[in-house]
Amino acid sequence: MTDFARLLRVLAGSGAEFALIGGVAAAVHGAARATYDVDVVYSRTPENIARLVSALAPLEPYLRGAPRGLPFTWDTATVAAGLNFTLTTTAGDLDLLGEVILGGTYEDLLSDTELVQVFGIECRCLSLERLIAVKRAAGRPKDLDAIAELEAIAEERRR
Amino acid sequence: MARQHPTADVALEPDPVVEAYKKDIDRTLLRENLKLTPDERLRKLQDFVTFIHGLRRATRRP
Repeated sequence: MTDFARLLRVLAGSGAEFALIGGVAAAVHGAARATYDVDVVYSRTPENIARLVSALAPLEPYLRGAPRGLPFTWDTATVAAGLNFTLTTTAGDLDLLGEVILGGTYEDLLSDTELVQVFGIECRCLSLERLIAVKRAAGRPKDLDAIAELEAIAEERRR
Repeated sequence: MARQHPTADVALEPDPVVEAYKKDIDRTLLRENLKLTPDERLRKLQDFVTFIHGLRRATRRP
């Protein structure tokens, strides 16, 4: 089971640069839809990768859905060589995205993030408007419900 | 020069497909959530996920 508080505290406590996107970001903005993982876009600087790797190591990150025993090592070389990782950890499922489809990198999205207080910590979250835009741009049929809900939230906010 | 991304300056014109999906959204739930702080919203999500997890464990065959 995903422990959102634990995952976010570990990420924020590391001082790493990341922003919430996906279902948890939608929930932050008021979506009622349940999500079972944490999606974040993270900065790909070597320093930031080192912070993330060190902070997440105690949670034993592993490739989600992959059989045990693969030659997967959670270290800076692995993260630096990859980009987007769908992980399972002892605190739940975590998607680490170096780049969002048609949305860009952490640095590209940074100006469209806002600071939010959750679980006693402060972290960045993609704005509602950019979240809608990113999901629209991705063009995945499975996102249509979520986009409709996010746009309804935007309308309700304007009421 | 900074890269331009397709979503950076997206004008969110109504999409007829999304508009169709929007009709099924329960806005009473959204209005209740919008009364909460982001922290309260995530704690509510955590409570729900914990409940579902417990339910799945309870219904799992021995």
